[in-house]
Amino acid sequence: MAALTPYGIKLAVHIITTDFGNLVAKICECILRRGTQSRALISRFTELPQDKVKKCLWVLIQHNCVQAFGLEQEGGARDTTVVVTQYMALFDNIIQRLRFPKFMVTVSMEKDKKGEEILEGLLQHGRLTLTQILDRARARSSVGNQDAHRESFRKLVRGRFVERCPAPEPLISLPTEGEGPAKKGGGRNKIARKEVTLEERALAAAIPMDAERFSISYDQGVDSDEEKSESKSSGLKVGEKRKQHNLEWDNELDINGGKKEPVWRVNFDEFIKRLRIKACVEYARSEYDNVAAVILNSMLEGTQRTTSTVSLSLDSIFEQVIKREEGLTMNLEHLRCSLEQLDFCSEADDVYTINLHEIIKKAQFEEVESIVKKRYGIEAFRMFRSLSNGRPLDTDKISERTFVDKKSTPQILYKLWKDNYIQMEKISTGGPRQTDFFLWRVKKDNLWHQILDELYHAALNLSLRYAHEVDQEREIQNLSMENPPPEVKKRRERLRNVRFLLDSSLMKLDDAVMLFHDFLV
Amino acid sequence: MSLRGEGALGYKRSRPGSNTSKELNPDERNVYNLIKSKGDMGIWKGDIRRELNMNNTKIIDNCVKALQLNQMIREVPDVKAKGKKRLMAMEFEPSKELTGGVWYQDGILDEDLIDNLKLVCLKLLSRHKVATADGLRHEINNLDGAFHVEVTVDQVKEILDNLILEKEISKVKSNGMGEFASFPVNVDCYKLKSKRAKMGAFSMIPCGVCPQINHCAPDGIISPVTCVYYTKWLEF
Repeated sequence: MAALTPYGIKLAVHIITTDFGNLVAKICECILRRGTQSRALISRFTELPQDKVKKCLWVLIQHNCVQAFGLEQEGGARDTTVVVTQYMALFDNIIQRLRFPKFMVTVSMEKDKKGEEILEGLLQHGRLTLTQILDRARARSSVGNQDAHRESFRKLVRGRFVERCPAPEPLISLPTEGEGPAKKGGGRNKIARKEVTLEERALAAAIPMDAERFSISYDQGVDSDEEKSESKSSGLKVGEKRKQHNLEWDNELDINGGKKEPVWRVNFDEFIKRLRIKACVEYARSEYDNVAAVILNSMLEGTQRTTSTVSLSLDSIFEQVIKREEGLTMNLEHLRCSLEQLDFCSEADDVYTINLHEIIKKAQFEEVESIVKKRYGIEAFRMFRSLSNGRPLDTDKISERTFVDKKSTPQILYKLWKDNYIQMEKISTGGPRQTDFFLWRVKKDNLWHQILDELYHAALNLSLRYAHEVDQEREIQNLSMENPPPEVKKRRERLRNVRFLLDSSLMKLDDAVMLFHDFLV
Repeated sequence: MSLRGEGALGYKRSRPGSNTSKELNPDERNVYNLIKSKGDMGIWKGDIRRELNMNNTKIIDNCVKALQLNQMIREVPDVKAKGKKRLMAMEFEPSKELTGGVWYQDGILDEDLIDNLKLVCLKLLSRHKVATADGLRHEINNLDGAFHVEVTVDQVKEILDNLILEKEISKVKSNGMGEFASFPVNVDCYKLKSKRAKMGAFSMIPCGVCPQINHCAPDGIISPVTCVYYTKWLEF
């Protein structure tokens, strides 16, 4: 949430416009720019009637781009409180829409065609109940019976690719009072202290506990689920929640979904986690070799849940490595040798610890260095790299270290400074003959924020150009395919290449966005 | 000192300037003494005026001219300040700070020497896979007539550090195993990077190198829809 940059918002709005049209995008932009707010406020700011706003919010919630929550506020008569429904934009989830093809590829690795179909359905529709998923499968499907689909669904949930939807409208009590009407998620709220934002509290309250989030045990059928939900008092059950708050939009949602049946959605966190492992492995491959990549992949896969560090003994790493085809030729000595060469790996008593955060930070630097090299040349690249450990250096030292002429060093440093890649500090020495010298350093936080905004900007540009190119060639797309004239054939060919280039560039650029935005959370 | 001593002996044909110091007028003497007191750092003409509190620049110019004519002082370039030549007494060699050190020739960075040394190091590393700085120095100095100077280990290390900055090679501590078997443990070794530095995703598209990115907006004069860099990029 913290990294909302100007172009990040523009990109998010563009994605929503492309997928759901201008009206929904207008509402979404309003929430993104002005922050969490009530429906009445959205209606006032956008100058749209409340019922239209309601329908747009409904679309955004269905596609997991907006989360509603009830905020308890003082008001009304005498010591009473009112609950006002607030809507917060889920920026990350909007940007995830760019990554749907990547998610599909990740699931296709599991080699379950039916699982892919289910995931595709969930990505397309945002949220579905199991009944809807099975109905959809029956309508489209080609292969397998309902049980097979049910099993594929279970596999997806077990793999944490799919999760139960968060509570539609968790209640957030007044921060001063820890008791009272805040039954829902009350336990969690107590853990959360004041530094946690309202949005974070709402999200934490909405997401079911892990046991429930990935549990399919209730899904024996609509009836049994109904019974159980009645007997349960967790307060986070989707159906129950609806009863208590009786949201307008929620009632309408019930027309589509089963009344008490749990609703499912894609768990983006799991995909990001897997893409993070993939990025780390690719980094090891480019920085070291295939052997390093195989070792890292085995280590990370062996642990599944990836936190910032992974520790394994040499023997267990070896066990994991030889399970893979590429690792069959490896022996212990070879493995030890390779592990010791890895910068991001430390060893103590034959236990090797991989620091994932370190890998990601290195990969981030690689991306920025690559930009510096392309924009400012090899000399600036050397200078930037000499400063990249964060320690400041003076102009002379930089010149000596990078073999750049002492006369041109300040000029290159100035260019980098002007574009905020490095920071400068003027130091004056005291004494009778005062001399000034300049210290230069890379200040990561500011620069990374700027780079992320530029990445969003570039992603927006690629998307806009893509839309423009497709629009330009709309007339030839509508022509019949049989015997097209050579001119049309050529244009079609070009459009195919252009689409491929823009699309693949966007996917790669998005890898960089994840590197700066999603992987270090 | 030595110059004056030589002049005092006077049994050889005197070098110009050796005995002329006697003929220096007081201003010239003051200027000369100041320049000489600055040793191997020399002094800039503007600073002479300030330090001697002489307001008349013409006098200083004349003094400097006379001293140069007598070959008692000379001008030396300063690598840090373009066009700001420093005056130095003849007996001194300019300090490393002024010349820029071993990599500078007449105040100019000797890029040819550096580039050639880099190239040789890369070639040697591709032949040996792993090497130490000392090993490389040995081989470089044994190359017949390739370089007119003998390089030191520190110089080789500087070259190698530069190649590390360029991501061409990496520095690894020897663990005495595998490819490091012939090196003692914990010695700094250098090896070529197995792959060329990866191109970042951003720098591969026009926006990554666009000088106008800050002026570009969806509906602006510069926009991705009308961008000429994009048009060129998308030519098939």
